[in-house]
Amino acid sequence: MGLITSKENLEKYREQIKASEKKDIPSVLICFGTGCHANGADEVAEEFKKAISASGLKINVNIGFKTTGCHGYCENGPLVALKPKDILYLKVKPKDVAEIVEKSIKGDELVERLLYKDINTKQIIAKYQEIPFYKYQKRIALRNIGDVDPTSIDDYILKDGYAGLAKALSMKPEDIIKEVDLSGLRGRGGGGFPAGKKWKSCRDVESDVRYVICNGDEGDPGAFMDRSTMEGDPHSIIEGMIIGACAVGAHQGYIYVRDEYPLAIKNLQIAIDAAREKGFLGKNILGSKFDFDIKISRGGGAFVCGESSALMRSVEGKVGEPRAKYIRSVEKGLYDKPTVLNNVETWANVPVIIKNGAKWYSEFGTKGSKGTKVFSLVGKVNNTGLVEVPMGITLRKLIFDIGGGILKGKKFKAVQTGGPSGGCIPDSLLDLQVDFDNLTKAGSMMGSGGMIVMDENTCMVDVAKYFITFLVEESCGKCTPCRDGLRRMQDILMGITEGEGKEGDVALLEELCETLTWGALCGLGTSAANPVLSTLKYFKDEYQAHIVHKKCPAGVCKHLITYRIDEAKCTGCTVCAKKCPQKCITGERKKAHVIDTAKCIKCGVCRDVCKFDAVCVD
Amino acid sequence: MEKVKFSIDGKTIEGVRDQSIMEIARDSGITIPGLCYHPEVKSSGGSCRLCLVEVHQAGRMRVVTACNYPVRETIEVKQETPLIKRLRKTILELLLARVPDSDVIKELALEAGITETRFKKDEGDDNRYKCIACQLCTQVCEEVVGVSAISMLSRGPDKTPGTPYKKASATCIGCGACVYVCPTNAITMKDSTGIRKIWGREFTMHACSACGNHFIPDAQIDFIVKTTGKERTFFDKCPDCR
Repeated sequence: MGLITSKENLEKYREQIKASEKKDIPSVLICFGTGCHANGADEVAEEFKKAISASGLKINVNIGFKTTGCHGYCENGPLVALKPKDILYLKVKPKDVAEIVEKSIKGDELVERLLYKDINTKQIIAKYQEIPFYKYQKRIALRNIGDVDPTSIDDYILKDGYAGLAKALSMKPEDIIKEVDLSGLRGRGGGGFPAGKKWKSCRDVESDVRYVICNGDEGDPGAFMDRSTMEGDPHSIIEGMIIGACAVGAHQGYIYVRDEYPLAIKNLQIAIDAAREKGFLGKNILGSKFDFDIKISRGGGAFVCGESSALMRSVEGKVGEPRAKYIRSVEKGLYDKPTVLNNVETWANVPVIIKNGAKWYSEFGTKGSKGTKVFSLVGKVNNTGLVEVPMGITLRKLIFDIGGGILKGKKFKAVQTGGPSGGCIPDSLLDLQVDFDNLTKAGSMMGSGGMIVMDENTCMVDVAKYFITFLVEESCGKCTPCRDGLRRMQDILMGITEGEGKEGDVALLEELCETLTWGALCGLGTSAANPVLSTLKYFKDEYQAHIVHKKCPAGVCKHLITYRIDEAKCTGCTVCAKKCPQKCITGERKKAHVIDTAKCIKCGVCRDVCKFDAVCVD
Repeated sequence: MEKVKFSIDGKTIEGVRDQSIMEIARDSGITIPGLCYHPEVKSSGGSCRLCLVEVHQAGRMRVVTACNYPVRETIEVKQETPLIKRLRKTILELLLARVPDSDVIKELALEAGITETRFKKDEGDDNRYKCIACQLCTQVCEEVVGVSAISMLSRGPDKTPGTPYKKASATCIGCGACVYVCPTNAITMKDSTGIRKIWGREFTMHACSACGNHFIPDAQIDFIVKTTGKERTFFDKCPDCR
């Protein structure tokens, strides 16, 4: 079917695809997300095609974005899932393919070495729904990722795609807004502003032209939620935007994607073209007389362009600089017209909210934060990756049950949430229920959902310095507190980590934090002090240790540590001496070695290579 | 025009809806400090942050910049508060460290009782060390003059105005509007008989047929004639002799 001209036609088309689906033949789903790509998913897919045609079997090889790829095993990719058996294989190499085809597709055996093995219980699990990593998840925004081929609109339609749109087009715009408002959906980009209220304000402004924008400028270090959605299920975003446009009365939409996401741009463009061909975009959508189209706008890589007003200037082709938002974007946004800007995850939630109703959605989450949230769980945690969980889940459950605990059995120290301008939350708050308000109360923020886990070997002053340095580089430089205040903070933090800290540094830092929080122009600046404020709040003793005692308790800050070999533990294996780039470790074979601290550059190689834990940091 | 009434530090003043706090305050004889706002440049303001004030409304307090906060309803504005004094002091110290030799900043700091900054002073001899990156020059060039010969280069601490690639600009008309609006006198413009030097380029100046003063660059005359259709003869005499 070419153009779909009505709701009835859409349902007919859906039935048609369902009927043609060959349920009786098995499917091989190969993760083609960025992580698995990098790990050689291409070769694995090629090998599968060859092996299957050689075997004479009838199999669908579906190169899709397995959610599993983003479920914590990107590092264990390429991932291969077998349907309908629901078996998940990790770290599949081309040489494993023949065995998988032979044993698990032709036969009923498992290739045990490629299965998930729980790091703590050592249990081997074949079915991916049973892996703890997924067991606690509730996937709404990520509902299709991994199940659909992002380049196939039919695949999306098969998963009830565009049913929400069909329903929305038969509703009054006011009722769509009411439904979104009742669902309690809050903006997933960081601010957490209620989406329904934003839409209503935009609709209520008198104007001939309105716009909707999708913010896909995800730039937080360690965050890749939106990337996976844009790459893995672009139609969910497009459908959400069409519904939003219909509700607020917009006829043009923009998806702003950072240029560092080439696959996202490619898949979004394929999806937009396909949606236009089927009649979901363009004139008279599904015979409703409603017109709407979407363009992709590529960002040039400035972090600040994720800020709504800077983003809009950038779409206009101007320098991406924020403006004062005393008059909000819903009144004067893109080209000074009323504009609704929501982020990728927010838009991806909209179709199912309309399809299943506000009541369904609002049953997930907490009182003030409904629904689910996608987090990218990274850092010193066993299972890194993307997780979507109901709001209100505790940090402990996220990090220890889903994340599988801290790497190498080390002690948890803090979790940094909300991106560079978020904050660090200590172990005393591990039972905090994660939602918008609780994270803010704890001195951090939801942000777009980045979650960086830190272990006992992390220096919190160093962490603050890292994020402030990032922000100094990304500050647009328009306002004094952010342009000059941040680099002064960086100077002070630099001094503290280099042993130059002095009395009064903390007070001066606090003063600068105040100036930024109250006095900066945009969201980047007003939240930029959070890394310092939260580490000062929970880890002040570490600052004191650096400033007063000139010690780095975590053993990170090079100027404040010395390396030493523990004579009792050293076996004299000589590995450290061989690897030392300064050649400053000496000692006889099978006797304790010594580091010449005058020559040592504190690179830490000796500590990394020592198998006996004999290299200590003082 | 809809009127709005509000108070600044307890004193009630009145202005037109959507006028900024600063405009209304200045019309009422109340001084709010500020460097980056110019009434003739629409998009100016919001950069130096010296005009930060507290706005109290419905039990909520916000800190806003008076230069571009449009007054729409009854609000209570306060600038004589400990918070605002602290914020302005830190900002002045930051500016003082950025442009340690600027007399304008030194004077403003002195008025606030600041003689020294606690931050390490920037050192260097090009215009960057006189400039507070307020953008008035680039804004006036784009919005008022209409040539966009200069724009802000780089970002973050290094943000500074300049011509593309810091090369002599073919677009510049040498009008000097940027010099006129610059609050810290950071832009160098030198006029010697018949020649004006600005932004790395030399402009020939047109002399008044009556008094002989070189009052306008030829490039500026060309630009005005081209964009407005004014007769070239209009520029025979300088404004004083016309």
